Order: sequence, then C-alpha cells, then structure tokens
Amino acid sequence: MTYVLNRLLSIVLTLWLISVITFAVTSILPGDVAMMILGTQSNPTALAGLREQLGLNDSLVVQYGRWIGGMLTGDFGHSLVFKEPISQLMAQKMKASALIVVMSMAIALVCAVPLGVWAAVHRRRWQDSVSSSAALLGISLPDFFWGIMMILLFARTLGWFPSSGFTDPSVDFVGALRHAFLPSLALGLGLMAHLTRVTRSTMTGILNQEFIRVARAKGLAERTVVWSYGLRNAVGPIMTVAGLQIGYLFGSIIVVETLFNYTGMGWITYQALLNRDVPLIQTSVFFIAAVVMLTNFVVDLLYLLVDPRIRTE
Amino acid sequence: MKRFLTPQGVVGFSLIFAIAAIGILAPLLVPRDYATRMKMAARLKPPSLEFWFGTDQLGRDLFFRVLLGAHTSLGIAAAAVGISIVIGLPLGIISGYVRGRTDNVLMRLVDTLLSFPALLLALTISAMLGPSIPNTIIAIGIAFTPFLARIIRGEALRVSAMPYVEAARAAGTGDVAMIIRHILPNVIPLVIVQGTISLAFAILAEAGLSFLGLGTQPPNSSWGLMIQASRDYLDVAPWTALAPGAAVALTVLALNMSGDVLRDVLDPRVRS
Amino acid sequence: MSGIDTMNPSPQPIIRVSGLRVEFETDDGVVAGVKDVSFEIAPGETLCVVGESGSGKSVTSLSILRLIEFGGGRIAGGALEFARESGEVIDLASASADVMQSIRGNEIGMIFQEPMTSLNPVFTIERQLTDGLRRHRGLAGEDARKRALELLREVRIPEPERRLSQYPHELSGGMRQRIVIAMAMACRPRLLIADEPTTALDVTIQAEILGLIDRLKRENGMAVLFITHDMAVVAQMADRVVVMYRGDVVEEGPVGRIFEAPREPYTKALLAAVPRLGEMQGTSGPEPMRILGDALPTAAPPRSEPSTKGGPLLDVRHLTTRFPVKGGLLRRTIAEVHAVEDVSFSLARGETLSLVGESGCGKSTCGRTILRLIEANSGEIQLDGWNVRSLGRLDLQRARRDMQMVFQDPFASLNPYRRLADQVAEPLVNFGLASGSEITDRVAHLFDRVELPRSFLRRFPHELSGGQRQRVAIARALAPSPKLIVADESVSALDVSVQAQVLNLLMELQADLGLSFLFISHDMAVVERVSHNVAVMYLGRIVEIGPRAAVFGNPRHAYTRSLLEAVPIADPARRRPHDDRSFRPLSSPIFPLGADIQPSIYDEVAPGHLVLKSAA
Repeated sequence: MTYVLNRLLSIVLTLWLISVITFAVTSILPGDVAMMILGTQSNPTALAGLREQLGLNDSLVVQYGRWIGGMLTGDFGHSLVFKEPISQLMAQKMKASALIVVMSMAIALVCAVPLGVWAAVHRRRWQDSVSSSAALLGISLPDFFWGIMMILLFARTLGWFPSSGFTDPSVDFVGALRHAFLPSLALGLGLMAHLTRVTRSTMTGILNQEFIRVARAKGLAERTVVWSYGLRNAVGPIMTVAGLQIGYLFGSIIVVETLFNYTGMGWITYQALLNRDVPLIQTSVFFIAAVVMLTNFVVDLLYLLVDPRIRTE
Repeated sequence: MKRFLTPQGVVGFSLIFAIAAIGILAPLLVPRDYATRMKMAARLKPPSLEFWFGTDQLGRDLFFRVLLGAHTSLGIAAAAVGISIVIGLPLGIISGYVRGRTDNVLMRLVDTLLSFPALLLALTISAMLGPSIPNTIIAIGIAFTPFLARIIRGEALRVSAMPYVEAARAAGTGDVAMIIRHILPNVIPLVIVQGTISLAFAILAEAGLSFLGLGTQPPNSSWGLMIQASRDYLDVAPWTALAPGAAVALTVLALNMSGDVLRDVLDPRVRS
Repeated sequence: MSGIDTMNPSPQPIIRVSGLRVEFETDDGVVAGVKDVSFEIAPGETLCVVGESGSGKSVTSLSILRLIEFGGGRIAGGALEFARESGEVIDLASASADVMQSIRGNEIGMIFQEPMTSLNPVFTIERQLTDGLRRHRGLAGEDARKRALELLREVRIPEPERRLSQYPHELSGGMRQRIVIAMAMACRPRLLIADEPTTALDVTIQAEILGLIDRLKRENGMAVLFITHDMAVVAQMADRVVVMYRGDVVEEGPVGRIFEAPREPYTKALLAAVPRLGEMQGTSGPEPMRILGDALPTAAPPRSEPSTKGGPLLDVRHLTTRFPVKGGLLRRTIAEVHAVEDVSFSLARGETLSLVGESGCGKSTCGRTILRLIEANSGEIQLDGWNVRSLGRLDLQRARRDMQMVFQDPFASLNPYRRLADQVAEPLVNFGLASGSEITDRVAHLFDRVELPRSFLRRFPHELSGGQRQRVAIARALAPSPKLIVADESVSALDVSVQAQVLNLLMELQADLGLSFLFISHDMAVVERVSHNVAVMYLGRIVEIGPRAAVFGNPRHAYTRSLLEAVPIADPARRRPHDDRSFRPLSSPIFPLGADIQPSIYDEVAPGHLVLKSAA
C-alpha cells in the first residue's frame, strides 16, 4: 500500500515536470511564435495584436502560470486553427487514438507471445531462424512504409478496408473498427516484431533457469514446463516492455494517423505543429506524455499482481 | 574476433560498410549533369535498364536520388546519434557512478523525458526551431538522449558495483582515474551496441520527420522526403515509394543485424 | 549410520551406468563432457561422485535423467540400466521421452545446487509440491494437499500448514532446500540424485541437510547418487566413492579405502590438499598446506611469529557499521542493519587473525570498514599510528598504502579490459611510489614474487585461470608494500588443490615480509590451518575471540560450538551424527531505529581468550 502511495506522489511530481518540459520546449526555444504563425512578411500591427492575444508580452513565468492554472481549472484555452475549446478536441481525439493504440497492442501481443515462445523453445533451430528473421525485418521497416503497403494492398487492390478517415465508435461501431483496422495493423506489425524479440529473449533466459530444470526433473510434460512454468514468469517482463511501447505507439500515431487521415491525437498534434498552433501543441504534447506516463504506472500496478516477490516488499 | 563473424554478422557488417561508403561517396558518384536530367518526358517511368529504380514525378532518376538520399539520411542519423552519445554518456556515467542525490535528480528528469515519445519530442523541437537539416539533427539527437543516458546509467551502476572497482579504490584510485580507467572502458561495449541500434532508430526517425515535412526540406534529397513525394502517385507509380522504402529497410536491417551480433558478443548482460 | 567397509552391495543394483559418454555441440565442434564413466548403486547405498570443476560430475548426474538434452548435450555412448519398480530393467539412454517423463520425479528424484533458484518464484509451495503428485499419482485437491503436508513434516519444516500458501522468496535458503528435497521425495523415488545440494548453504544448514538426506535414505532404502566437490562431505556421506577428472573415472572404491589408501596420484593429491578439522590439535602456529609432489620439508617450514614490538599493527575498538533500511512513505530510513556491532580486536605484526562466521554475520563488512571502503558509524581504527577513521582525503591515501585487500572472486576483481601489468602497477602509480621504467621493473618483480611467468605481464585477465588471477590480485595488493592485507574469502572460489597453493603463497609472503593478515573466511578447516588468532562473528558481533588453539580446542560460546560441530571432517573414520532438526531461532541483525542496543561485554576465560557475555 505504501508502494502505491509512493508511486502516486511520484506521479504528481512527474506530471508537474512534464508540464515544465512541455512548456520549455514550446516557449524557450528561439523564434517568435507570432511571427511563425503569421509569417515573416506580416504587418507589425497584426503581429502586436497576436502577441497580445497569446500573452507573449508577459514573462515566461506568468505565461506558464496562466497555462497551468487554466489546465487545473479545466480551461485549456482555444485552438488557433480549429477555433474550438482545446478540452473538447482532446476528449474526441484521445478516444479515437485509444482505439487504434489498444487494437494494435492487442494484435501485436496475440501474435508475438506465441511466436516468441515458439522461437525460444526451438532456439538455434530453423523455427527460431524463421521467426527471428521475420521479426528482424519487422522492426526494420518504418511504420509509414507498412501503412503505404497496406493502403496499396487492402484498400486499393482488394478494397476490403477504407484507406482513410475516421468514424466515431459511438455512432457506428463496425464502421469505426473498419476505419481503425488498417492504421492499427500498420502500427501493430512493427510492435509485434519487437515484442516477438522480447518474448524470445525473455523466455530463453527463463528456460535456462534452474527451476525449469527442476520442473523437468519432476517429470512434468514439456508443454506444462514451457507454457505454465516458463511463460508465467515471462508475463511481467513482457508486460513491462509492452507498457514502454505505448510511448513508442504514441509517437508512431503521428505518422500513421496522418497517412490514413485518421483524426486522432497524432493527426491533431501534427496539424498543430504544421500550423504553429502553440496552445494546441502545448496541451496535446502534455496529454500524450501524461497518458504514456500513467499507462506505465498502471503496468507497474499490474506487475504487483503478477509477481509475488514485489507484492511483499 | 571470430565471434563477430557469424553469418548474420558478416552480412550485416558488409552491408553497413557498403551503405556507408555509398552515403559518403554519393555526391561523387552522382553524375554532374544529374540536375539537367530532369526530363518531363521521362516522368514516372518504371524501372528499366536506363533508369534502374525508375523515375519520379519530375522525371528524375530515382537511383541517383536514392544515392543522394543515403548521404543526407545517414549523415543526419550519424550526427544525431553522435549528439545523444556526447550528452548521454557523461550524464549516464556520472549518475551511475556518483549515485545518491545527483542520480535521483538526473534520473527523475530522464524518466520524465522518457514519457515523451521520441518521435513526438523530435517533431516538436524541429517544428519549434524551424525545419532544416541542422535542426533535424538537434531534434533527433535530443530526443534520443534520455534513453541512452538511462541505459548507460544502468551499466555504470552495474560496473561501479564490480569488485575490480572496489579493488581499485583500495589501491588508491581517485574518482577521475576510476572513471577513465575502469568505468568508461567497461561501459563502452554497451555504448557501441546501443549506438548501432540507435542509428537504426535515427534513420527511421529522420524518415518519419521528413515524411511529415518537418525534417529535411527540398531541394535536399532524403529517403523520407522521397516517400512523402510518392504518396500522390502510389497508384500509377508504386516504385517511387518502394525504392526509398527499400533503402530505409535495408539500412535499418543491416544496422539491426549488426546490433544483434554486437550485443551477443559485447553486452555483458547477454554474454553471461 | 551403517558400517563403512562392510557395505554389502546387493546383487541387483538400482542403476548401472556403463561406458557413459556425453557430447556437447559447441561453436568449436563436438566436445565430450563425459568420456567413459561406469558405476552402479545398490538399494540403500550412497555413491559419491567427487571431482573439481570441469570433471564432468554434474553432466553425469544430469545424463541419468536425460536432462542433459535440454542443455545441448547428447548421450553418445554407453548404457544407463535402471531397475524399475516393476522389476523390469530398462536402458534410460534409449528410453522414449514419454517413459522418461514417467520416471522423472517418480522413480528418480533429483535435488539441485541452488535452493534460491530451484523453485519457481511465481507459484506457491503447495502448487510446486503437488504437481508431481498430480502427474504421477493422480492425486488432486485435498488428497494432494494432505500428502504435501506429510512431505513437509517428513523434511521437518516448521509450521507446514503456513508454508503451503507461501511463495519461495518468503523462505530462507535452508528451508527452500528442504522444499526441493520434499519435492524430490514426493513419489518415493528408488534413486535420489543430489547435485551439490549443500554447496550454496552455510555450514550449520549444510549439516542439517546432509543429516536429512541420510535419514531419508535409511528410512526409504533409496539409492543415493551424491555429487560434490567437497572431500569432507564425501567422508561424511559416502558408502562408495567415484573420483572423476576431466570426464573420466580416476578411481572407485569404498569410502574407507579411498581415504586411507588412495591408489591413483590424482586422488592422493586431491586428498592431501584438503585440510581436516582437528588435525592441528597440539600445535600453536599456522602450518603450510600439504601439497603432494612437494618434497617433505627437510628444514622447518617458513613460519611467521607475531611480533609484539611497537604495539599492535591494527587496533580496532568498538567498531560499529550500520546500513539504513528504507521504507514507508517517502522512503525514509525506518530501520538499520547492524552489520558490524561493537567489534574490538587487535592484530600484531606478522600475525594472522581470522574472522569466521556464516553468511551475513558482518565479517566482510568489518574488513571493508577497516579499509574505509565503507564508512563506520562509530568506533576507532588505529593502524600503525594512523587514526584511520579521522583521516582526510590525502592522509587516507597515505594510510591505504599500508593496508591492501584481496577479494573473493578472482574473475570479478580484475578489470577485464586492462592488461595485468597495468593493474598491478595501478597502486604504484596512484601512490606515486615509482615512475617510468621503475614501474615496469617492480611489476615484473611482483610477478616473480607470486610465481607468475613474466610472459603474463601483457595479457588480459580472461587468458588466466582462477588461481593465476588470484595471484595477480595478490601481486596488486603487495605492490605498495603494505603492512596489512585483508583477505576476504580469497581462496573460497578456488578448487581445493589451487586453494592449497595460494594459501601457501600467502603464508610464505607473511614469513618473508612480516605481513599481517586479516583473514576473512567461512571455512573452519582452512582457518584452523592458517591462523594465529581467531574471532568468531555472529549477527555483527564477535562472540568469541582468542588464540586459534584455544578457540578450536576449547570453544566456550554456544555458537562457536555449534559451528565447529557442524563442520564436516574429511575423514570417514570421524563421522558425526547429524541432527537434521533446526532449533536455531531465526535471528536478524535488523533493528528499528532507536532500539536499545547493548555494548559487547566479554568474559576472559583464559589469557587472550574472550567470550561474549550477553546473548546477542
């Protein structure tokens, strides 16, 4: 219990640090935001007006205080590009992205764990070579390359799935899944390759442990030894890596959502960056980092359930 | 030495040497009249004996474009990884060796930075600085630093706890000499392994940034930029995406293959 | 225990191994781990297979269960005839995988070396005890649970009901090994294979486990195959002995004959190098180790006599070192480990004082605190006029010239990326004791001194054997011409013959250079041989200290006695009845902050022989 409390305290501290870093990256880096938005040739009165509107004339500390104060009271400001309250945008887009992040993680885990275990059991034989080579190729291809291939194959040639767009799952669930499928697959393939490698190396380590030998010496069937004694010990490490990969996914969605015109967090962050929509950039970057951090916290808590050794500490 | 030369190692290392040579020599290999070879008549031609990889929407020879792209992409990736090592190595070593409060503060910061997806961090920095080749290098370099610092810190922590460090302390070795003689040489193998793997990720990141228009800018040529340009012609000329995509894949694959072999031989955590 | 040489091998052995050959596929081609091994074990008989590292003894034991196949090995020749419960004799070497599974854990049980890693960390003890029963006996639910409880009682685990729902990490090493034994015994095997089952355990727990295995053997009439590197354990356990060397059987015979009249030179050398507890009775000073092949000493062996001139070299008073235990909200310090608690002793020039005790007693921390590799909480350390604890940076550097350390692990105490000459030169450079070509000369002389060829100067640690590396570590410690060397388990990781050579080197150096040794060890037999004085540590305190002859000959503290009684003696004629019950209360050196800690007060039972008064 003290463990959880300590972690909660650490979360508050980390959230604050995330806000500071976000603000620093978007404010302290050189460049006049107003000029970036309006362009170098813009008229001075318009520039001055925009500076005033954005509060750029105040000191950085005041600007930061205003931003963080707004977030604490639920007022995230307005997007310059979308002319909408940012809070509303965040709620919609986070939902859209959550769908493909969860789907791609599910696709990746369902395939990667058996493949990785299979490779570890047949270490240094052809099964291992095939699975490991495929995984190596998988982590070497950029997500957008997968995306383009999928658009060519499943959308253009076969016509099974739409190649672009987003449908709200609360409006049309099946449509939402159809739209989310190709982006999820594009994200999931690279992830699957990575998790296959992690599962293989984790299981290889576990299968060399003494307790596996003891289990065999008890006469347990090889199936039980691998899939129960072995895999049960690999769940924690695999889960931790999968949690860390959530961060990787939230980076990749920027590319993949843009490619598929899937209007989620990645897409809107990209629009904000392209248009120098500073308030929107700040909030979306903060939210993505916060979600990634909180996901890892949840994974740490789940680890407590999986590993009795940490539970007693 | 023999342990590096597994089949995978031979293929990986040879590919890297070949690709690196191409990347360095690309400006010399591409014919001088390359710029004038843009022929609107030869737009979007499929691969042939004349145009090995086909041509793009402006009639430029994709083979030469890929060669020039290697120059940019590899250069950016190498420089970015260089930056992240230059910052991450001392940070990680100090944190892991000194421990205590310094370590707590540094690692809290690094952990927080790790909550930002590297690509998001790189994109944001690049967008805020204004996209250009040097800014792309800085953006990717900074985005990769926390990860490297974390890994090196862990290794420095492990090495600092080794009996030979304690033995050296008993033999009167001071902190600076300790880091130079004992910690650094034992951390370097891991840096080589992680550097190779980071190089692969940096190439993917550069491609991603350029693909989104927030990395390398035209008229420079880069693989990500070429893939972006190909998007509008996918139906009629898929080779415009395949040529640079395959170049990225082959390079990253070669780096990952070498990285795996290096890790098997050099990484003390795997070696044992 | 049954008679030693009267053992009557029954005509029907449980297992008969003949011409066993095991090969491994490696990157350098096929390597034979075991070349030609034959032996048989009768019901109720214990066969010990003994050998140094690399002898193939473990490979042999794993081959019988055919577990070797999971480690990349292959039985390339020979037969493993096993008499099954049904009376049928089958060759395990060619049995099908299904038959092997029905034999493993059922008719043959196995115990492994590492109790810390032989249990699955994420399953409860109940699950791990019952899954063999479920598989081989079809027991489930309440029946399986009942049998599991029975097994726990049989291996004499306190509070068996509670253990069932516990996880391995909640139990001590000794208890875990009892669980592993209970698992192996679950289906009443006809053959029990024990692969170094006590090597990772402290000596008092070793005695309990050895007693347990012996009792189970007698009660069940099992055959036992016992693998070990420790001749003293062999002497205590074996009916018959097989000595292995580099994959071959060197000698086989009844335990009495092997110890009294070994025939093969290798067995003779192995036995000669083993110190036997109690053999130093009637002597006062240390004696060099016997190494076979050395001519019998014609002159008196080099022996160091401690000198009392100029007061003691090292004087430690009320030394206390504690480590914080963090926990609770904000991870504050909530308790302290009292690793070293009010320890006092002094060490004369040319003297060897041994700190002995079991793991976690604080002996290593004590050595490190004296060198200030760890800072003490309180107390005084006087080294040749230096008040070590109050020294500033520069003075400490000067004082460290006088005190050097040799560590336990010869593989880890040398930097793998530095040439040996540079590592031995390091203290010379650090202390500014030599420069230029003088360094090279002195390092070369140090190599001569520890009997290493000069061709090793330019080599890297991985090119050397364990014993050679330990010599390099000794050369490094000698480099600044220290007066005191703290030797922390310096020979524990070495094979027994190498251990004897290194110990003799240390004693020779002492005689030549007048060095003082603080010799930290868990091995009572070695300590008896090398020390002038002995201090026994328990839970951070010295419980008994005095001349070696007094502490070993007339131990007064209960802990010293139990320690000495637990040590196996490398002499089958001096077997001791092992009680396999554990009566020692679990004590911990962890105290809450602000606990009332009493000082150590001693009774002087004889001149210089002190015994701790209060029960710590």
